[in-house]
Amino acid sequence: MNRLLSVLARCATASALAIAGVASVPAAARAATYAQIEGTGSTWSEVIVQQWIADVDASGMKVVYTGGGSTKGRKDFAQDTNDFAISEIPFQGTDEQGNADTSNGRSFAYLPIVAGGTAFTYQLKVGNELVRNLRLSGETLTKIFTNQITNWNDPAITKDNNGRAFPNLPITPVVRSDGSGTTAQLTTWMDKEYPSIWRPYFGKSGLTSYYPKKSGSRTVSQAGSDQVMNFISSTYGNGTIGYVEYSYPVNKNYPVVKVLNKGGYYVEPTQYNVAVALTKARINTSNPNDPSTYLTQILDDVYRNPDPRAYPISSYSYMVIPTASDDPRMTTAKRQTLADFMYYSLCAGQTKAGPYGYSPLPLNLVQAGFDQIAKLGKADKDVDLTNRDVRSCNNPTFDGKNLSNNKLAQIAPQPAACDKAGAGPCGTSTGTGDPSTDEGDGGTTDEGDGSGDGGGGGGTDVDTGGEVTTDAPGSVDPVTGEVVGGDTGAVSDGAAVYADPSTVLVADRAGDTRAFAWLSGLLLVTLVVLPGLYVSALRRRGPAGARS
Amino acid sequence: MSAVVSGGVRPRRALAAAVLLSLGSGLVLAGPSSTGATEPVARAGAGAPAYSETKTLQRVVTKPDGSLQEFPAYTVTVTADQTTDLRGRQRIRIAWKGAQPSGGRASNPFGESGLAQEYPVVIMQCRGVEEPGKGEEQLRPETCWTASFAQRSQITRSDGEAAWRHDLDADEADKGRVSGLDPLPGADVCPTADIAGYSTRLTPFVAASGKVFPACQADQMPPEAAVGAAFPAAELAAFTDLDGRGEVQFEVRSDVENESLGCNHETACSIVVIPIVGLSCDQPSSPPTASDNACRRTGRFVPGSGNVASEGVDQAVSPSLWWAASQWKNRFTIPITFGLPPDTCDILDARAPTGFYGTELLAQAALQWSPAYCLRKDRFKFQHNQMSDEAGFTLMENGGGAAALVSSEQTQVGLDPVGYAPTAVTGFAIGYVVDRPDNAGELATLRITPRLVAKLLTQSYLGSDLGRGHPGMEGNPLSIMQDPEFVRLNPGLSQINQEVGATLLSLSNQSDIIRQLTDWVMQDRAARDFVSGEADQWGMVVNPNYEGLALPASEIPLLDDFVPETGNTCRQENPAVYFNQIAAPVTTLRKISEALLDAHPNVQTRCELDADTGLYKVGRIGRQSYGARFMLGLVSLGDVERYGLKAAALQAAPGKFVEPTESSMAAAVSLMEPGEETLPFTLDQADVRTSSKAYPGTMVVYTAARMQNLDEADAAKVAQFIRVATSEGQRPGPGNGQLPAGYLPLRRTGVTAGLYAAAQDVATAIGTQTPPASTLPDPVDLTTDGGSDGTDVPTTVPDAPAVEEPPVAEEPTEAPAPVEEDTAPVAMPATTAISSRTAGLLLPLLFLGGLLGSLAVAGTRFLVRPPRQG
Repeated sequence: MNRLLSVLARCATASALAIAGVASVPAAARAATYAQIEGTGSTWSEVIVQQWIADVDASGMKVVYTGGGSTKGRKDFAQDTNDFAISEIPFQGTDEQGNADTSNGRSFAYLPIVAGGTAFTYQLKVGNELVRNLRLSGETLTKIFTNQITNWNDPAITKDNNGRAFPNLPITPVVRSDGSGTTAQLTTWMDKEYPSIWRPYFGKSGLTSYYPKKSGSRTVSQAGSDQVMNFISSTYGNGTIGYVEYSYPVNKNYPVVKVLNKGGYYVEPTQYNVAVALTKARINTSNPNDPSTYLTQILDDVYRNPDPRAYPISSYSYMVIPTASDDPRMTTAKRQTLADFMYYSLCAGQTKAGPYGYSPLPLNLVQAGFDQIAKLGKADKDVDLTNRDVRSCNNPTFDGKNLSNNKLAQIAPQPAACDKAGAGPCGTSTGTGDPSTDEGDGGTTDEGDGSGDGGGGGGTDVDTGGEVTTDAPGSVDPVTGEVVGGDTGAVSDGAAVYADPSTVLVADRAGDTRAFAWLSGLLLVTLVVLPGLYVSALRRRGPAGARS
Repeated sequence: MSAVVSGGVRPRRALAAAVLLSLGSGLVLAGPSSTGATEPVARAGAGAPAYSETKTLQRVVTKPDGSLQEFPAYTVTVTADQTTDLRGRQRIRIAWKGAQPSGGRASNPFGESGLAQEYPVVIMQCRGVEEPGKGEEQLRPETCWTASFAQRSQITRSDGEAAWRHDLDADEADKGRVSGLDPLPGADVCPTADIAGYSTRLTPFVAASGKVFPACQADQMPPEAAVGAAFPAAELAAFTDLDGRGEVQFEVRSDVENESLGCNHETACSIVVIPIVGLSCDQPSSPPTASDNACRRTGRFVPGSGNVASEGVDQAVSPSLWWAASQWKNRFTIPITFGLPPDTCDILDARAPTGFYGTELLAQAALQWSPAYCLRKDRFKFQHNQMSDEAGFTLMENGGGAAALVSSEQTQVGLDPVGYAPTAVTGFAIGYVVDRPDNAGELATLRITPRLVAKLLTQSYLGSDLGRGHPGMEGNPLSIMQDPEFVRLNPGLSQINQEVGATLLSLSNQSDIIRQLTDWVMQDRAARDFVSGEADQWGMVVNPNYEGLALPASEIPLLDDFVPETGNTCRQENPAVYFNQIAAPVTTLRKISEALLDAHPNVQTRCELDADTGLYKVGRIGRQSYGARFMLGLVSLGDVERYGLKAAALQAAPGKFVEPTESSMAAAVSLMEPGEETLPFTLDQADVRTSSKAYPGTMVVYTAARMQNLDEADAAKVAQFIRVATSEGQRPGPGNGQLPAGYLPLRRTGVTAGLYAAAQDVATAIGTQTPPASTLPDPVDLTTDGGSDGTDVPTTVPDAPAVEEPPVAEEPTEAPAPVEEDTAPVAMPATTAISSRTAGLLLPLLFLGGLLGSLAVAGTRFLVRPPRQG
């Protein structure tokens, strides 16, 4: 009976609450009608773009993206087979083969979507251990990819690593076989910074999306960033080096090269170092009415940024969006989806750039991006762009007082002293996403600032700042490899080896204890027995000598 | 604050209980369809299909004398498994029997590429219904969607290609030289439509907006139409087996995916199935014209044959003329309804998202769950960021993410104790797409043993003749389809070698999935022996580079180093490890699912000269042809159900093969052992091997978060997430906040009771930041600070966070009363290096002793004894 009553009571309250519950649901479900949009292009930025696509699904947006390379993305855009393309480089007008690389008359605008560093990932073993802290200068890298430096024991590499020599092992450069924006980024940088090395190899000046692999060289080509990573990280990959966006090695926990910058430090493309480098990017804003140049990047000053934290080969990835009011593939609902997808990506979506191996866009670029999104509204007055602006933008680099400031760049930790040219090398490992710095907990990083309770938000970046790897020699017990002093910094796993001689010893030690145990045992026995043997030998020789 | 909360708690729980009750009864009623979603076996046999209709179809041709010549009649039955409350991109199984066997099978039946076939079954989605009620539209060819104009219009055809002009059932107007749209668009719109001496038939497309697209060329089609777009066509010309049967998974499109077609919860739509039996023809002229003859053709391909080269087909029996009156009347119309579009998160929601980082196993559930959080003010903006378990755990530990989503205990680096709350029961599958030989349809059940997986993962198949030079395994089969072990388990399949048969497409990064997969492999003695170098009974041996591989492991390394010697210039230019090119693992499970869906192996052995650049390039091989598909890939159970993939039956007890179903997952859960307080449960594969019912790929996804030093707001969010996910998040269904197929509902009672209880305990521990004493870190890890308690254990329970209670809980789970003496960590001195002065000095001392000894001996000899006489 009681039970029945309680059930009845429950039902009554339930129905009462059901009404209240309905009322309490925010009126957010206001019909922003979305239609599915489809894109193709860059694999450089694919990792984070796919995550954004999963995120906006909750808002009812359906986005389909397949990689295939920047070149494919631009071609598809020109042929009206996608709704947007993602590319690391703008339409080139004419590509290096003399083929047209234009939008084929389709109106478009460029929109920067995420920043990142083109990382050099490699497999190099000393003994049986993976080197995780290789350092190279830009010149050495260019010579490697133009087949001028072909062995890991090259003096130039030894010099970059402050005298630490690597084994006699041929270098196998791994390049992309498909039309790739990553290749374009690399070759742009080589063309600008080391023209005397790059141009004779290429046979002309400028960049290329198709790496000009030379017949008979050790260079191998692979299709897509995934396959470059597979090739390098396989057992067979000892001696290889290739280029991919930093997210690929970070997700695989694989080392990347620290590249020498103009400030004299060897640095890794962490989100901080990329953000610092890109403060010197010149964004072409000369003519907002010229879509072929507006917002395109001029990276010369990024390559030469004198800040000791700057990662030289940093750049942006672009979305190419159709802007004509009579675009054959666009509808109001598709434009709305494109606009809101970008709104999310440029704002909240940037907060996860760091954990995925990218670097968030600074707000001046986000703002310029909004101007580009506005063109969708211009093309179609039914596209709703209200309140989609920088004020509502939840971007980790945001600085309310100065929009052109990149807060991330300001809080970026200084590189460790052992990362300086002529010093070190540091023992800390690369490819973890954590910066290599001497700044301890709290240090200069404004703890909590920008992170708020954002959880996965900006907190990510700043909090990792407080968790920096400390300078190895001082804080790691050279024998046990354990951290002394309770700092939980990213201690390397025992399997890794660094080009710092002292740590090489440590890494070898674990496996060698048994051998050493035997050796010392043997020594002990010898020590005890030898004198006696010696004596008896002398004795035996003594009489013999007497006899003779 | 607590008063307000407690005031709201009870009724809300009651509400949820009522909802659950009603849902529970709904579930019972919806039995066949809902269990069908997760039980392939049940799906095939149990219950009546949602749609079933039988029709007799017959082609008739008028003889010159006016009498009718009748072709054999076919009594065709078409069934569909789901027709109501559909979502965009949902896949519906459509099957038929009794149809005329098809011929000239196309390598890809979808869209334009499916046109070159004979006697196929055309399946497409159309707006409208057969007998429209108020506000509904009449179904007609003009409202049926095709991705290309070539599938609906015949432009500038010579008389020999104008068979439709003699359609027996067509109106006179439709037999004209140009027809379909009156008036025909001018040359400015359709420049090639009206050319003297040629016939043209337009089947325009009428969009939901009412706009008419003439469909005479590509730019006169709706915006969603494109050939070779990222989003593939759904409509297809499917193949009927020699026994008259066939089946497909047909993907429906809502107005979100296809605005012009415009199907949604308000606009009624249908799936139209037209088994092509050939045009019926009117009385021929005398002598018969070319088009008279064309109308009477009966096909060039024998039933069951293939047409990989896309040769021409007889128009009268091809899918191109599906709209012709005598074919259109043979249609089966499956009415479908779409569900209400789920409420979605507001893009302008100012709350910052809270990121949970980790396993892709939760991806499909998280997609449905997220709106249930963002849509409520008293919840938060939940986001699932997919990455490896390990990377997610590291982010959680260092504060980068509020919580991690993992499937096993992770190596803890930080000092804060981490609690693991069971959040979802799901798992992995070995997905496959395998066609039976002679176009006999897809394989329905695939059996896989641990040793077969071991062979695939250790790259022990040769792939092709290129692999024959690999030392130490020359006698091995080229691929799994030629492996006697596989053939014996799965008889009747083609043994024609394909390189992709040498691999299981897998993950390149670390994952708990790989660990469990390899754990299952290594529990099997035969597999273990194989990996350790013992040949199987047919003489196949492990690839020497993998011999003795340490498994289980969370990553499958690429260990081979064999580069084939070949005369092929391209391969000489791009020397690569052949087996690694075949394996080509990828970074996400989603990519594997897509590869399976498209039957597009990720094998990277294509090597050719690129004419544009003059460079030799390697790349991915092409898609597989329908009828000759064979591919295996590691996928999540969520994806299996979402995309309608097929999942292999894995061996549990010897000889027992278990498919992933709710009951087989439940059987595995019942074998799981709880971990120590707040730690994950473990599934011992040794137990699975004793079971004939447990699915070995069953995995639990845990929400892992710090139980100390987690930001208060984040702690509340994580606790709320665990409670909501384990209560309302476990209601099966396709709606917001519900649990999609591919997950076993985690309930308070039954086999999942232990998981449920653990989840509530951990939620409390995280929410209150009060770890159970036993989980406090080994004080060894702590820094010494004079013996005082290094950890900040609150002596009172903080205010419970404002979260709603789990609706099914009878009593709110009380936060455990703190037992102070237990919670205070036992202060212990920090460890020091294990060393002792004496021991450290021992070696030098012995050296010294030895030295002294020998000195003494030498001294005695030279000083005490008289010098030797010469």
